Amino acid sequence: MGAIVAGCLTSHAPNITARPVIDDPAQRRRFLDALEVMRRRLAEARPDVVVVFANDHLQNFFYDAMPAFCVGVADRYAAPSAGGAEFLRIPARQAAGARAWSEALLHAALEAGFDVAYSQELEFWDDVSLPLHFLVPDGVPIAPVLVNCVAPPLPVPRRCHALGAFVRSFAEGRPAGERVAVIGSGGISHWIGMPGHGRINPAFDRLVLDWIAEGRLDLLVELTAERIERDAGNGGQELRNWIAALGALPVKGEVLAYEAVREWLTGCGAVWLAP
Amino acid sequence: MSDYQLNKLLFEAARRHRIVETLADEADLAGYELTAEERAALARGDIEALYRLGANPYLIRRVFRPRFPV
Repeated sequence: MGAIVAGCLTSHAPNITARPVIDDPAQRRRFLDALEVMRRRLAEARPDVVVVFANDHLQNFFYDAMPAFCVGVADRYAAPSAGGAEFLRIPARQAAGARAWSEALLHAALEAGFDVAYSQELEFWDDVSLPLHFLVPDGVPIAPVLVNCVAPPLPVPRRCHALGAFVRSFAEGRPAGERVAVIGSGGISHWIGMPGHGRINPAFDRLVLDWIAEGRLDLLVELTAERIERDAGNGGQELRNWIAALGALPVKGEVLAYEAVREWLTGCGAVWLAP
Repeated sequence: MSDYQLNKLLFEAARRHRIVETLADEADLAGYELTAEERAALARGDIEALYRLGANPYLIRRVFRPRFPV
């Protein structure tokens, strides 16, 4: 039988790679050092598949058909695409997709009453490409599970958690016995493209990280979209990806770094989840 | 439901990685049903007005990036 063997929660932001020179280089070093620790631990966990809970930034989905949840079922993903690579300033690449695993997940999810959408072609920007760039061992295929965090109305955190928990039960029930790692990508607080653009709320971010360190998923899933928008901005809605990953690996997180980086417009957290 | 058209314009510009200060050329606007207010906000590159008019903030940020201080 399969197992969830590791988990990482990390923020993403284009400027993490696009704007490496910041006023306080120690902030960058502390955050990237934490990602490096997670990269090593993830490799040591020898995953066969890495499930990435992340969100589209309206590069794939639009208001003509907006999925609350979407499972990627492709052989490969542009992560980043050529255009994405240009503004992220990392090389474009085609990331291997764990297609058979993802297709099985899709079927099982629908059978279980999770009416997820699916996609055979997805283009990724910082959402999936940065976790890939910093964390995922070369050649390990990914299984993206996208959560709408950017085009309200959004799925409620409790449902994101339930989907993550379903991914865990699916992974554990796989006869092929794959070793599965999970990544939650996004958050914590950031205000993007709206009044307050560039604001970060370290007090809220610390609160969320404390909850995660104490294993208080019960408090996380009670967060409302309104509360998140008020205390963590529109970017804070990406906490859904963390909550889904915590649903798949419900353990007390080890907070490795938190940096409110002005130039990256983001309260940047890095949390390791040990099974 | 005009903000759909406004977002559609920005979505399609973002997909092409257009980064602009203003959007006023007929070539950019043709085919979208926009109100006079939306056209004016695009022509001024007025990011606050675009937000008020219902443009998705991620699309505003992506397309009108030079308009943001950070």
